[in-house]
Amino acid sequence: MMLHVPDPYGILGVPRNAPPSDIQVTYQGLIDRLTPAHQSGNLAALRQIEQARDAYQLLTDRKRRHAFDLTLKEQGGPPTALGLRVTASRRTIEILDEPQVVYLLLQIEPDVMASHFPEPQPATLNVALVLDHSNSMQGARLDRVKLAATEIIEQLGENDFLSVVGFNDRPEIIIPATTVRNKRQLISRARMMRASGGTEIYKGLQAGYDEVLKNLDDNHVNHLILLTDGNTYGDQEECHKLAKEAAERGVGISVLGLGSEWNDDFLDEIAAMTGGTSMFIKSARDVGGFMNNQVKHLSNLFAERIQLSLASAEHVALEMVFKLTPSPQSLPEDEPVIALGGMQAERPISVLAQFLLPANLQPGFYPLVRSVITGDVLATNRKHATVSEFSIEVVKQASTEAPPTIIIDALGKLALYRLQERASESVKAGDIKKATRQLENLATRLIDMGEPELAQEAQQEAVRLSQTKMLSEESRKNIKYSTRHLLSSEAEGLL
Amino acid sequence: MIACKNCKYSNREGYFFCEDCGFPLEIGARNHAYTRMLEKNTSNLVTTKQRWGTARLIPGVEILLHVVDGHAPLRLNFDAMCLVGRDDSSNTSPPTIDLMPFGAIEKGVSRIHATIERSEDTLTITDLGSSNGTYLNGQRLIANQPRVLRDGDEIKFGKLVTHIYFGA
Repeated sequence: MMLHVPDPYGILGVPRNAPPSDIQVTYQGLIDRLTPAHQSGNLAALRQIEQARDAYQLLTDRKRRHAFDLTLKEQGGPPTALGLRVTASRRTIEILDEPQVVYLLLQIEPDVMASHFPEPQPATLNVALVLDHSNSMQGARLDRVKLAATEIIEQLGENDFLSVVGFNDRPEIIIPATTVRNKRQLISRARMMRASGGTEIYKGLQAGYDEVLKNLDDNHVNHLILLTDGNTYGDQEECHKLAKEAAERGVGISVLGLGSEWNDDFLDEIAAMTGGTSMFIKSARDVGGFMNNQVKHLSNLFAERIQLSLASAEHVALEMVFKLTPSPQSLPEDEPVIALGGMQAERPISVLAQFLLPANLQPGFYPLVRSVITGDVLATNRKHATVSEFSIEVVKQASTEAPPTIIIDALGKLALYRLQERASESVKAGDIKKATRQLENLATRLIDMGEPELAQEAQQEAVRLSQTKMLSEESRKNIKYSTRHLLSSEAEGLL
Repeated sequence: MIACKNCKYSNREGYFFCEDCGFPLEIGARNHAYTRMLEKNTSNLVTTKQRWGTARLIPGVEILLHVVDGHAPLRLNFDAMCLVGRDDSSNTSPPTIDLMPFGAIEKGVSRIHATIERSEDTLTITDLGSSNGTYLNGQRLIANQPRVLRDGDEIKFGKLVTHIYFGA
């Protein structure tokens, strides 16, 4: 059975044999450091204080600690399984009379000790496919989706759990949650879907989520894959609520948006809240590939429900969190705990965080952030934890050393993603002139970065915009997701 | 503030790319990345990428500690554990690696600073609650919590920068 509490030794950063007096000292120091930030309203600091208190209470209660140690011993395996590496955009920073920005790159990977694990078993999947079969899916689109569902059923193992929910204005349970034993029967049921009605995402999500809950287990990969080609109206708030609950209970939601009509900003957000991914599928032909990759990714996980908590120090503001790998995505920086989803052994998760430091710092080491990573490691059946406290050195004259290539590369790509984002915002605000200029800048930068095709598309959009005052929805989505994708291709090579 | 040469927008300190137009900012001698970003052939970048060294120790391999100062590397000869610190004759247990010759006092190295431990196939470092801390690749270690070392890692004892290498 999975040990549900995050490893208290990892949370406090004390060794397994630490005497109670050491635990007391470590805990008190931690609380002293987190309290000022908590008192100034930092929710992540509050969360970390609570988490530390739980760990402290467990480890200072002789009976409970003994019971915990015993379970660890029975389960075997190494004490640590998740590694965290933190790199700053600058090794030292200068004293300035104005605020300054510092970036941290956080890389989460299996700890080296993980090589001592027993051969990992493929994770048991508990997956719901929630498929749009509204009128707009009629014809080739729905055929492709049925084919993709068929391929997924073929791919799944006997012990995996699958459900298929179709939705238009209302949900229809096509395959209730079941193990994948009688594949032929499941496939013939999946093929019975027919297109009709409008698109109401919430009802489909809710029905799919209920199917996942039937087999919810901390030792499973619990995931919902939503495929839609349409826009939903009036139920966005309910979707948000559901995504929040799903995140808390460890169910990921991934979104595949087909064609140009779906609401990308809204569905990106839903996916980001739960640690899932969102993808843009230009043509129905590619549906099968995307859906299969999604399921393959899930069945190859080393750890699931990786969560990151960033408690910045009292006068430090966390301004942005962006996941670079495995699938680039803007993350909600104001959440006390950020869901990062699953991690494959060979593909570490890397996250870029932006902090704003106050002016007029004193020379010495300035604390920036305390990071806590927790995650269910599937090979050990345990929730592991790793913490890191990062300080940056403040000096009178900063070193002339170049910032780490990996951070500069990521920031360069991120600047492109931000440019297209701002161009869309300008269009929405009705400032066509500004939007045109932003798209032209984007085109220039894309050429500099060696992306001529994408540059051309941005240039064409700039021309279209100045002539028709409108963007092509398909091009807008393509530029958005292509620039976002650049972030992973670059960072991937570095890991 | 950093003014963008392309669009004149005033960016906050610490930015590397203009918030308004996305162009790289020229940050004087401090930012060498500016010239690098203009290379159009991205494949050139591949060769300059830093990779993590291996964490696996080949049995019998020699561990070298380079103290960044132009000195010859220190050879760490040990079977199990090696204590890093500064020896000032008041120590009850003198360190295996004495950093006194490298300006340990002004760089803030404690008498008993950290240990480097060799197990079957990994090398770990543990800060022993030193006053100025031990940093692994810029990240401050939590006292008494071992961390695995990789070939080429940067270890800072207080302000003394060193690098560890597996084999020559």
